[in-house]
Amino acid sequence: MAWFTIPVENLLCRCLCIFITVWLTLLIVFIMVPAVLGISFGIRRLYMRTLLKIFEWATSRMEMGAKEKNQQLYKPCCNGIIAKKTPTSLQQDLQELCGSASCPRSEPQFEMADIFFFCRRGVESILDDEVTKRFSSQELDSWNLLTRSNYNFRHISLRLTVIWGLGVLVRYGVLLPLRVTLAVTGIGLLVVLTTLLGFLPNRELRFSLSEKIHLMCHRICVRALTAIITYHNRENKPKNGGICVSNHTTPIDVIILANDGCYSMVGQVHGGLMGMIQRAMVKSSPHIWFERSEVKDRHLVAKRLSDHVADKTKQPILIFPEGTCINNTSVMMFKKGSFEIACTVYPVAIKYDPRFGDAFWNSSKFGMVYYLLRMMSSWAVVCSVWYLPPMNREEGEDAVQFANRVKAAIAAQGGLVDLIWDGGLKRAKVKDAFKEEQQNLYSKVLLGEQDEGDLGDDKHLEDENPEEDERNQDPTKEQ
Amino acid sequence: MGALQSSPGQPEYVDLKEKTGFSFSQIRVLHKRFKLLSHNGETLKRDHFNSIPDLACNPIRSQIIEAFFDRRNFRQNGEGPVDEIHFEEFLMVMSHFKAPSPRMIEERESVRREKLRFIFNMHDTDNDGTITLEEYRHVIDELLSLSEALEKDTAKSIADAAMLEVASTSMGHMEPDEFYEGITFEHFLKLLKGFEIELKMNVHFSMMDTPTFCK
Repeated sequence: MAWFTIPVENLLCRCLCIFITVWLTLLIVFIMVPAVLGISFGIRRLYMRTLLKIFEWATSRMEMGAKEKNQQLYKPCCNGIIAKKTPTSLQQDLQELCGSASCPRSEPQFEMADIFFFCRRGVESILDDEVTKRFSSQELDSWNLLTRSNYNFRHISLRLTVIWGLGVLVRYGVLLPLRVTLAVTGIGLLVVLTTLLGFLPNRELRFSLSEKIHLMCHRICVRALTAIITYHNRENKPKNGGICVSNHTTPIDVIILANDGCYSMVGQVHGGLMGMIQRAMVKSSPHIWFERSEVKDRHLVAKRLSDHVADKTKQPILIFPEGTCINNTSVMMFKKGSFEIACTVYPVAIKYDPRFGDAFWNSSKFGMVYYLLRMMSSWAVVCSVWYLPPMNREEGEDAVQFANRVKAAIAAQGGLVDLIWDGGLKRAKVKDAFKEEQQNLYSKVLLGEQDEGDLGDDKHLEDENPEEDERNQDPTKEQ
Repeated sequence: MGALQSSPGQPEYVDLKEKTGFSFSQIRVLHKRFKLLSHNGETLKRDHFNSIPDLACNPIRSQIIEAFFDRRNFRQNGEGPVDEIHFEEFLMVMSHFKAPSPRMIEERESVRREKLRFIFNMHDTDNDGTITLEEYRHVIDELLSLSEALEKDTAKSIADAAMLEVASTSMGHMEPDEFYEGITFEHFLKLLKGFEIELKMNVHFSMMDTPTFCK
């Protein structure tokens, strides 16, 4: 019945056309234009507030559901598995252990009891240590309507399931395509415009235009992730001829920082799409890309960074000294390489709000593309960026101490735990030097050199005694 | 996008709760830790333990790790080492570190024996029921430093002195040609008589049965 289907097809086509036109108009007016001009309508913040209300409702429904069935909700206890006592020194612990049996500590007398102590310590480490838990995502107390963070699935009522289903539809059907379009547009524009800019002869014009283009494209990318960023203390923004350091949670950190200022990126040369973007970017502004072989050569790296910094017309360099992604609950050891260069360091702390989506990139669990899709199908990426006052290396301070000082400042501002462990432990093992240190300590106690008792046996954990941290630096250095 | 966690009260959890004495929420948290350490695998191998930085600083790390792979600690009357362990065995070994509930005195005594048995097994690597001088020396070697702080023979002399003490405590006076085989479990118990191991060798698991409101 051809005569019936043709008008229907026409109707369908027309509807589709209207839909696409409306969609594109909305896109351009509400997203692209503000991105280009750098203004904001406040739509994203409104969205964030609405979402929060929905999450609270969802959590309270689950609690009600749990109460009805007289069961308990699983709440990730932030205190950990073990109720730890305050850290005491090795000597005190051994004394306490020895206290009940009669054993004088004046002679180097070996007691079987000491084994109990190390045994217990060992099992405590197996149950809960400061480092391994940093390499997996943080847990939430409330539910944010994402299956991936739900631990109380049994307590969901029908209403909640419906809302969750709607959420899935909205996230995958509406938000994801929109975001992917924006991302493609943003990256495409970046590549095309910066390449074009490379042909301009006039250097200064090229420079100022390139700043604007970079900012615009990063703003589009930020909207592609629905990132709602709050910048604090903008007066401390990094200036030319300095280095900007920040804690690292995800590759998106770069976009978040570049949204507010122009930085020179540092990194390895990649192939494929990344490589193309890198080559385009470097045509219009001075980024530092290293060949794989050059990365090993520390002097070359340091020289190129120093040269860049010495030129005051060039933008500040953006570096992530941790060297790997951490799950945003702590800050791990900063590699000293970037702190050896003689210039001002501008620390920046980035803290993500985990309620809207988990931003941590667990590179052992999923690759980059899967991660980006995950990010684009979360509700939003909400974070706070604090610009800290600039720091300089002081007289008599070496690179490692300076790095620790900066790390402590960033951790304090972002509300993160300051750890001395190396993020490289994600993949590598601890060096034997550490084990020997502990053995050394024990033998000293055994021989009765009691003045050494100041060396708390938890020195490799929290940053309590700065001088011991220094002594520990050599084993933990990866570079 | 991410697995939903299994609910407590599952049949295998009930079984584990009876065997080990942990509560449901403790078992759940320990299971999560197991999964984290094993990178979401079904079993734990020695390598997984080696990747814990805190443990690497422990002088008797290898003994502790071996204890997890020692069938004698699985409470199934088995013997010998295994190459990998499942969650049940992991829990069994962990249960040696639970504090005894403040109840009857007999339970305290058996808990005490269990914990001492665990330590005994840690020393007795060849599983012949006695800790020989060699085995004892090996443990002391691990505990002490290999560096200049002690001379090479100090470890040896410490071990010899300790063995002598044990021998005199348990055997009384020995004939000159009598050879002291090694510390048996009974001697071991006698040696550590005054020592309240059931209070000292415990990991304080936090109480998780009451819902806690973090923040």
